[in-house]
Amino acid sequence: MGHPLTLEIRIDPEKCMGSGNCSFWAPATFELGDDGIATVMDPDGDPEDKVVVAAKGCPTQAIAVLKDGQQLA
Amino acid sequence: MTVSEIDSLITDYSVAGDVRDPYPEFVTLRRDNPVVRHEPYVPGGSPMVVVYRHADVTKVLRDNVTFSSAIMRDVMGEVMGQKIILAMDEPEHYRHRALVSAAFRQRALARWEESLIRQVVNDLIDQFIDRGQANLVTEFTFPFPTKVIAGVLGLPTEDYRQFQQWAVGIITSHGNPERGVRCSRELGEYLAGIIQDRRHHPRDDLISDLVAAEFDGERLDEEEMFSFLRLLLPAGVETTYRSSGNLLFLLMTHPDQLDALRQDRTLLPQAIEEALRFEPPLLITSRVACRDTELSGVAIPAGSMLTPVLGSANRDPDAYHEAEEFDIFRNPKQHTSFGTGPHMCLGMHLARMETRVAINALFDRLPNLRLDPDAVERDDPHIHGQIFRSPTALPVQWDTP
Repeated sequence: MGHPLTLEIRIDPEKCMGSGNCSFWAPATFELGDDGIATVMDPDGDPEDKVVVAAKGCPTQAIAVLKDGQQLA
Repeated sequence: MTVSEIDSLITDYSVAGDVRDPYPEFVTLRRDNPVVRHEPYVPGGSPMVVVYRHADVTKVLRDNVTFSSAIMRDVMGEVMGQKIILAMDEPEHYRHRALVSAAFRQRALARWEESLIRQVVNDLIDQFIDRGQANLVTEFTFPFPTKVIAGVLGLPTEDYRQFQQWAVGIITSHGNPERGVRCSRELGEYLAGIIQDRRHHPRDDLISDLVAAEFDGERLDEEEMFSFLRLLLPAGVETTYRSSGNLLFLLMTHPDQLDALRQDRTLLPQAIEEALRFEPPLLITSRVACRDTELSGVAIPAGSMLTPVLGSANRDPDAYHEAEEFDIFRNPKQHTSFGTGPHMCLGMHLARMETRVAINALFDRLPNLRLDPDAVERDDPHIHGQIFRSPTALPVQWDTP
């Protein structure tokens, strides 16, 4: 038994186009700022699979998700 | 070869086989011939390349340096004008999208849910609720997105009928270009007045937002604004009318899933996504190659016109488990029906929200909503089309007191 590892989520603001797609798939994790750039509200906000779907679905591939040094998306 | 023969060839090869069900053909093409290159019909012309696999489709849509959107000007036709965002490349596209995108963010759209969208769908349902039966295509899925767009634009309610007529004329301009051009001109004159008014008297509506939008000290000029507003008709009305019809048809032909959804409405967002994956309203999109490149080993010379087949990518077994099954319970995964890359559908959050509100209202107010078995027997309603797809009809009945 161990605590689930917190995900490390990186958003490249240069790549982010502000589609809001990530905050649709993982609404408790991502939000769009007033400048239209996505930010991470809470890396544990949604289950891991939702965060991975959100990252993989990013239209400009601006999101990386890592867990324990392994890249999930 | 006549123009119409070429035309039918162009439209046929992307969805060879029965237009009632193009999907079996996609299965073989994805496996045996995933990138089909048609040589030019005329000497010196450009090849046409049709792309069927999920990995290749997403690659084309994401790489906007190699694959330009400029061809969308030809695809959308003269009626839509030159300054459409669909056809812009960088850096023009980035600037334009930055100016219009704020109004289409989830937070900005939330204001429309209660005040406008619920009202629109309930007004439509009021007109047939006592009857116990209806054709939801003509009486619901077709009219509701036009009214929503009219409301979002901030048009006066008494103008909705006229707006709908212009919308139909513009959407069907491929079949009737003369009427399309006339409707486009009349809509332009009408909107010019509204735009002028909102410059001086801003309100809580999209046109006021666009008038005020500023990015790096720049604003939309008059023609850009009109091009964008006109594009909302094919982009925001036609697609949602078709996709909401597809969702209803798929649910009513999968009664177990329909019942599960009726019991647990939290399943609705994933049902909407699954219907979009399984039967996208628009099967294809277009790009043009800016340099020599290749896809899945097929050489693509600069100038080639590409047709990424979204409807095939969505059923690629390399991307989706049991891809040929409609299953609202599947593990969620992004589909390609909104596209991807820098041009990913700007209106996707509006489409998702208005569909959710519409379906919930139907379930709330029409108990035991189901297809009418006699009409199904008689008329054989089915999802149809080779570029756009939606049900031929939705003959339904429900329990009345």
